[in-house]
Amino acid sequence: MHSRKSILWMFLAAALLALPSSAMAQKVEGHVGKLNGHVDAGKQLYFRYCWGCHGFRGDGNGENAPYLNILPRNFVSATFKCRSTPTGTLPTDEDVFNAITRGFYTTYMPSWTALTHQQRADLVVFIKTLSTRWTKEKAGEPVKVPAEPALTTDGIKRGKELFAKLECWKCHGQEGRGDGPSAATLTDSNDQPIRPYNFAAGTRFKCGETNQDLYKIFMTGLDGTPMPSYGEQIKPEEAWDLVHYLRTLQVTHNSAELALWQGTKEGAEIVKAAKITGTPTGSGIKQ
Amino acid sequence: MKGKALTVLLAATVVLFVAGREPARGRPSANDGPAPGTAVVKGIAKFEGSRPAPTHINMNADPSCAKLHPGGLVSEDVLASPEGGLQNVVVFVSEGLGDRTFDPPPQPVTMEQKGCVYAPHIVSLRANQELDIVNNDATTHNIHPAPSNNREWNKAQAPGTRVDATFAREEIAIPLKCNIHPWMRSYIAVFKHPFFAVTDKAGNFELKNLPPGDYTIEAWHEKLGKSIQKISVSAGGTKELEFVFKSTAGH
Amino acid sequence: MLQEVLKLKKHRVAAAAFIAVYGWLFLSIAVPSASALPIPKGNVHAIPAFARKYGMPCSSCHEAWPKLSPFGQQFKDNGYQMGNEKDAPIYQNPSYWPVSFRITPHWHRESVDHADITNPLPTGATTEGRLTTHGFDVGGLDILTAGTLAKNISFLLVPAAENDGSFHFEAANVRFSNLLGSSWLNIKAGKFELDNIISEKRILGLSNNGGFYQMYHFQPVGEDTAMFTFGLGDNQFGAELSGHSKNDYTRFSAALLSSNDGTENLPNGHGYDTFVTLSQAFEAGSLGLQRVGAFAYVGRAPTYTVGGELGTDGLGQKSFYRAGFNGLWYIKKFDVMTQYLHGLDNALLGTATPSYNPLPAGAHSPTWNAGLIEPHYNLNPQFILIGRYELIRMSRQALDTNAGNLGDIDAGTVGFRYYPFISSRAGFAFHNEFSVVRQRGVSTSGRDLTSSSVFLGLDFIF
Repeated sequence: MHSRKSILWMFLAAALLALPSSAMAQKVEGHVGKLNGHVDAGKQLYFRYCWGCHGFRGDGNGENAPYLNILPRNFVSATFKCRSTPTGTLPTDEDVFNAITRGFYTTYMPSWTALTHQQRADLVVFIKTLSTRWTKEKAGEPVKVPAEPALTTDGIKRGKELFAKLECWKCHGQEGRGDGPSAATLTDSNDQPIRPYNFAAGTRFKCGETNQDLYKIFMTGLDGTPMPSYGEQIKPEEAWDLVHYLRTLQVTHNSAELALWQGTKEGAEIVKAAKITGTPTGSGIKQ
Repeated sequence: MKGKALTVLLAATVVLFVAGREPARGRPSANDGPAPGTAVVKGIAKFEGSRPAPTHINMNADPSCAKLHPGGLVSEDVLASPEGGLQNVVVFVSEGLGDRTFDPPPQPVTMEQKGCVYAPHIVSLRANQELDIVNNDATTHNIHPAPSNNREWNKAQAPGTRVDATFAREEIAIPLKCNIHPWMRSYIAVFKHPFFAVTDKAGNFELKNLPPGDYTIEAWHEKLGKSIQKISVSAGGTKELEFVFKSTAGH
Repeated sequence: MLQEVLKLKKHRVAAAAFIAVYGWLFLSIAVPSASALPIPKGNVHAIPAFARKYGMPCSSCHEAWPKLSPFGQQFKDNGYQMGNEKDAPIYQNPSYWPVSFRITPHWHRESVDHADITNPLPTGATTEGRLTTHGFDVGGLDILTAGTLAKNISFLLVPAAENDGSFHFEAANVRFSNLLGSSWLNIKAGKFELDNIISEKRILGLSNNGGFYQMYHFQPVGEDTAMFTFGLGDNQFGAELSGHSKNDYTRFSAALLSSNDGTENLPNGHGYDTFVTLSQAFEAGSLGLQRVGAFAYVGRAPTYTVGGELGTDGLGQKSFYRAGFNGLWYIKKFDVMTQYLHGLDNALLGTATPSYNPLPAGAHSPTWNAGLIEPHYNLNPQFILIGRYELIRMSRQALDTNAGNLGDIDAGTVGFRYYPFISSRAGFAFHNEFSVVRQRGVSTSGRDLTSSSVFLGLDFIF
């Protein structure tokens, strides 16, 4: 008798308990293109693939976190580097999806293309349940990326001037080697030392490989890192000039920009000087 | 029996959970009418013990900053007057206001970057009150707050331009830094009520217009930690307080 | 080899005792039992050194170790690289050493019906009977070392010890990955596992009967397995060209192999085999990633050998092939591996006739068809239920005088693996399995030979 009654109570309590959580789950949705992410499926995937680094609670404190020199993303604070949205805002679902798909070069986050698109969308939704920010705030409005203007030598030169004027070199160095005067002091939001991107090493950008991705990096900033947003400081056409110039700093990465730049007398000298110095990994040294 | 206790616990959790989700709405705003009260809490923050040796800031990384400080510059971490008054202590009501809510004032608070230093060193303002950040330097800065209860963002700021910002939630205090100039560090104290002050050069502070009641007054210093006092004020009354910060050993 | 009588009936007591020891184990399935050729089970690959290197839980690369997940397959195909430029040894802590050990202490019970008993019994009236053995045991030891030597140069070395301590190299190869910057161009040379999507080295069975795929080792009755041994699941010597799309959905491989089934020192003198595979994965909504593939192995094997102290050469080489297709099907937590295989051995191989002798009258090249269906239910990364059914049906016997079903096999396995914890440092599993095999007409008196295995193991790797 007694036990049956308490079982009934248990059921009631369980049902009540289930209500708010399902209401919470309904609040967080994720859509990537036509895909609709499912929280439960995402949860299973998370606890198969992700928790080792990102932790059981998603706070970036997985059992492996102490051994990583670039800390795993903390999904509870929900600050994301690679966004299409302005600094300080939440990324779009596509941004998170793309980050999972792409992985982060030079960190321990691999590319997850082995998961299906649906599975990655499921993970996006689950990640959004790990922070209350996703229920309180909306994702930012993606910054508009106007069509890329034609590549010209003048554009590259204007970009070079901007690089000096905006003082990108303070961190990234005059030749983009990540060795500017402030470089050694930089820390990320976890107070971990962080190095500015070394263009000369030619590794792929963390937030995507295209010129559009590069455009977004300095128009949105990499939140959680010292890289600020220049969205309120430069005009779109200036941003494109800067993109074209930055490509020429990647002296070990073949691009149309580098080819055009090397075709000029000024550019050829600069690139040649940069190449002889080599890169930290020693790749692409051509004497 | 055990089962029953567990169910009660579960049910209680549910009730709490649901109650906790109730949004705070429809409460009267104390800003609608005149000042919320007439009591005053004032006093002084003091520093005791051996003073830390002044830390000289090395600005060599950016000559444009260094040339504005021909005599060099020392850190603003601990600033105490010869009489022992401690500057840059944030004194505020941390408990006792109950459910009262206060709308932020429309006028913005300004912070200036000049000579690659933040002025004031401690910014205090209200949640959702506008903060105007001005760059009067010849160099680009970046404004990078590192909050724990607000959004983190990071904006570049070219010379002569302005960055406007607001912080939605109370937080004491948000570290603010410029990554380009690593010595630039300041704090932004964000309050959901108007009862806060930052001590002046002599270490004095004053909190005005408090409604009568029992309060916890907290004093916070970026390096020396915090101190708490519980007080009770009546309408029109004045309470004098003294907060003493001791030198942290080894400095 | 097996002779005389010994009738030992149903020894279940020890099994029950062991179940009690574990407290939570229960495994009982009433199915007839039978036994095929006693083939040594393969050493299995799951490498916690990788988990330690990357800090990922076993479950990232393994649906249930040692079985790979698509992510693990991609990692392997990419030359043990995550592709985020952190793989090369220079990025590792110098104290990191890519070595793992795996061994499986276990209790097992083997039972064979119509077994040929070697030692005469005083009361012996018949020569066949049930042979049952059981007790505590240990599997072979695998020392798994694998990793990258430099960016895009990876290696795998598996020195393996049998449970009697004898030692051999299960695998030893070097792989040059992403040649010319293309994931379609990878070359591997040494001793390696064939590119089987349904990998016998990653089989979720450990018992004497269930620890290998019947179809990978089947040879028709009447062949001389001393002269011609072939196992599609065995590691072999050779060189392999392989490639895959960036997301690993499309994969291919083509290997040139020494025709000696992975035995060292060229026991067959000369001769080469080829093996090619092709597979394609596709997404099916919320069901998961599906994969279909095809494979073909074309080989030649000697019918006699000549030589002595100066070396041995295999002559009279005759051909054989194995070809088929397979699929990995996912329905959320449930998945099925399926495989079809068609095999043919040259009549001389099928009848163990040296090529200088005439074929026996009525000899044919034996052919057969084999099928596999292996469902899994992956409740979560810590628990997997395993089932398997395999059948092999002769479609043409080597000799007209053979019964049509001589050598046909039915094999079934059920089991589960429970991983009490999942970490990025070590792996541990309770492995419990029951497996039965029946092969037609191969007992001494021409009756069906059936055998069963019960396996209760502690599978650990670190």
